[in-house]
Amino acid sequence: MEALLRELEQASGGAARVMESRAAEIYAKAPLAAIPEIAQALLGVPGARIVAVFAEDRVEPEGVFYNYYVFERTGVEPYLIVRAAIPAADPRFPSLSASLPALNWQEREIQDWFGLEAEGHPNPRRVALHDNWPDVHPLRKDFDLRAKLDAFEGERHTYRPTLGEGVFQIPVGPVHAGIIEPGHFNFAVAGEPILYLQLRMFYTHKGTEKLFESFPVSKCVFLAESVSGDSAFSHATAFSQAVERASGIEVPLRAEVMRTVLLELERIYNHIADIGAMAMDVGFVIANAHAGRIREMVLEVNEELTGSRLLRGMACIGGVRRDWSPAQIAALPAKLSRVEAEFRSMRELIRYSDSTRDRLESTGFLSPEKAAALGIVGVGGRASGVDLDVRRDHPYAAYRRFSLRIPSFSEGDVLRRMCVRTDEVYASIALICAAAGSIPAGPHRAAEVAVPPGRYALAAVEGWRGEILYWVRTGPNQTIERCKIKDPSLNNWPALVEAVQGNIIADFPVINKSFNLSYSGTDR
Amino acid sequence: MIALILKAVLQTALLLALAPLLSGFIRSLKARLQMRRGPSPLQPYRNIFKLLRKGMVMPDTASWLFSATPYIFFLTTLTAGLMVPTVAADTPAGLFGGVLALAYLLGLGRFFLALGGLDTGSSFGGLGSSREMMISALAEPTLMLAVFTVAIGAGSTALAEIARVAIGQEWRFLEPSQMLACAALFLVLIAETGRIPVDNPATHLELTMIHEAMILEYSGPYLALIEWGAAIKQLVLMTLLINVFWPFGLAAGWTFPGALAGLGWLVVKLIALSCVIVVVETANAKMRLFRVPELMSVAFVLGALALISSFLF
Repeated sequence: MEALLRELEQASGGAARVMESRAAEIYAKAPLAAIPEIAQALLGVPGARIVAVFAEDRVEPEGVFYNYYVFERTGVEPYLIVRAAIPAADPRFPSLSASLPALNWQEREIQDWFGLEAEGHPNPRRVALHDNWPDVHPLRKDFDLRAKLDAFEGERHTYRPTLGEGVFQIPVGPVHAGIIEPGHFNFAVAGEPILYLQLRMFYTHKGTEKLFESFPVSKCVFLAESVSGDSAFSHATAFSQAVERASGIEVPLRAEVMRTVLLELERIYNHIADIGAMAMDVGFVIANAHAGRIREMVLEVNEELTGSRLLRGMACIGGVRRDWSPAQIAALPAKLSRVEAEFRSMRELIRYSDSTRDRLESTGFLSPEKAAALGIVGVGGRASGVDLDVRRDHPYAAYRRFSLRIPSFSEGDVLRRMCVRTDEVYASIALICAAAGSIPAGPHRAAEVAVPPGRYALAAVEGWRGEILYWVRTGPNQTIERCKIKDPSLNNWPALVEAVQGNIIADFPVINKSFNLSYSGTDR
Repeated sequence: MIALILKAVLQTALLLALAPLLSGFIRSLKARLQMRRGPSPLQPYRNIFKLLRKGMVMPDTASWLFSATPYIFFLTTLTAGLMVPTVAADTPAGLFGGVLALAYLLGLGRFFLALGGLDTGSSFGGLGSSREMMISALAEPTLMLAVFTVAIGAGSTALAEIARVAIGQEWRFLEPSQMLACAALFLVLIAETGRIPVDNPATHLELTMIHEAMILEYSGPYLALIEWGAAIKQLVLMTLLINVFWPFGLAAGWTFPGALAGLGWLVVKLIALSCVIVVVETANAKMRLFRVPELMSVAFVLGALALISSFLF
């Protein structure tokens, strides 16, 4: 920890200063010009990683915009957050994307939403606001949420042409077959093999971060639940934790353990569905039929515990919304061991299907080097040797109290992404059974929830896809001044571009499914 | 002459009526095996009826080929069906060398389907057409080899003659050449009807489709014709496999009791073959696209071995 701060001091030539040191995060401030050197120095060590970059409009109170650079390092629990002020009169910041491709979309988001120019960005085109947006920056405080914008006239986004003998471009989407969200995939293929894939997301950009600023804090929990529907509880918990940390709200231990159980239930039901869907995409339909049945068993447990099959309406600031009876808790291990037995037999069905294995193995290979460079997190990362897990690296809720088995592979193919999910299902079931046996007595939510203004904090949750990050600054009268959301999908979409290269186009659906990223979480 | 017309009318009616039921039956059997309730076996009739009444959306880039394809595909498949013994060994049509004409009529329909897929200029159509051609380049000669194996024994390429000779030699299918040819023809059947492990008829993923990708732009009555045609093609190929290799209960001519018994046997054998297809579909994942030619090469080699061994044994 001290070494980290010393490096920070050295890299900035003494210009960086630690502002505040907390258990889970350390805030430092540095001049904008020193950021590239600081980033280079901090990331030069193995195990170091840039987690996120995001901006904040503080023009009215302080006359500046702030950029926050979030770093982490293996074995160091707190996040290091370096803040750099950008004068409102000169809204530019040096781009790091050329050397840190993980920041590509994040810097462009800042560009689109705040009107801060990322200087030296290799591809400074719009990403988060499509071309039909006029030149406005909606996350600036002077932009009215209800502003009516002019009709679109102008040039539409053009895709880079891929030229060559026998090279075709195949546009897929943004509207897809099946019930999924919109996203455009532009393939360049030579016959069947994919040469290049261009992605375009943000079709469902809803201005969620701006919306957070218009609701009372307690209602914002519901908003967080709908950022990415299949991660409702993880998102809502990440948001609640950020508010709790900012406001110094003490969460009762019982609630922390209950949150842990619910977070793992969310992981289990999604992983089972994904494993089934991957089998489905290679035409092994019977496995998907079983997966649907087993997922249903988990959803019934969810409904029993929370009243919602998808765990909605359970999260709240200061704990969880409803308590469980001793009988409910006692029944949990038996129910989950039934799920485990059924899941094991489904898993064996897939394992002994040679034709399925043949489709999955070596398909959609993402090399560990590329995964690390692109900042891939979660399931996709752990299948490609990026051994990150917020539950272990930055423990929250009650994860500190339980031992955790985190699978990691380096082969980086579709099969390994399935294996990560399988192993996590077993680990999560074990964790829930352990937690159910040790839920302490006490209240299930904090008695008093008051959110003082002007406080800020970061919170991360390992959702089933990966690291979900929330940073909030509280406002007056129980409101939120700024809420930054980062869904793991935002990091991981570019991994898809790398993973599909050299594969045949008929394998794209299963490669895509093996990552199963959220459109809504990316677009916000 | 009247008898011939009557036979043709009856067989056409049989093909038209039975084909959707067979598709529906396979689909609902598959659903049952996967613990789903699935649609009723009558669903394909409802689909065809629904599509026939619907309007059509034609791509702006489509030429006359796009409109001609459904008719050509439907009619060539139906004509090919007239050359296959269904309820009796005797067939209503036996023109141009029988099995040769059958293979090429099916080939003609497929050729136009591929053209129709290309004609729209849609990238999926092109994708589907090129995949279909890749597979049929190996499936077509295998079909020929397998049937020739049987034809050599019968001394004729007319399917009616082949079936007639086969009657009374019910256990002949245990001969090595017959078994090899039967295996080859079964693989061709899987490939030609677009079933797992070659193609997945139930997928919604455009990028993995073969047959469905070619016809993605079709709608309304044209789609109805193509789907109906595809169902007939499946029935024709399955009937071919059944009546060439297991001619149990097949009457030599079209007499009323004979044909009725033949129909009964046909239905029983179709059900049995459907069960085999459904088990294969459920127990396997779809192959990687570039593994499909390997499977088809296996089928081709089986066909070739069958032909050779028919001289040896």
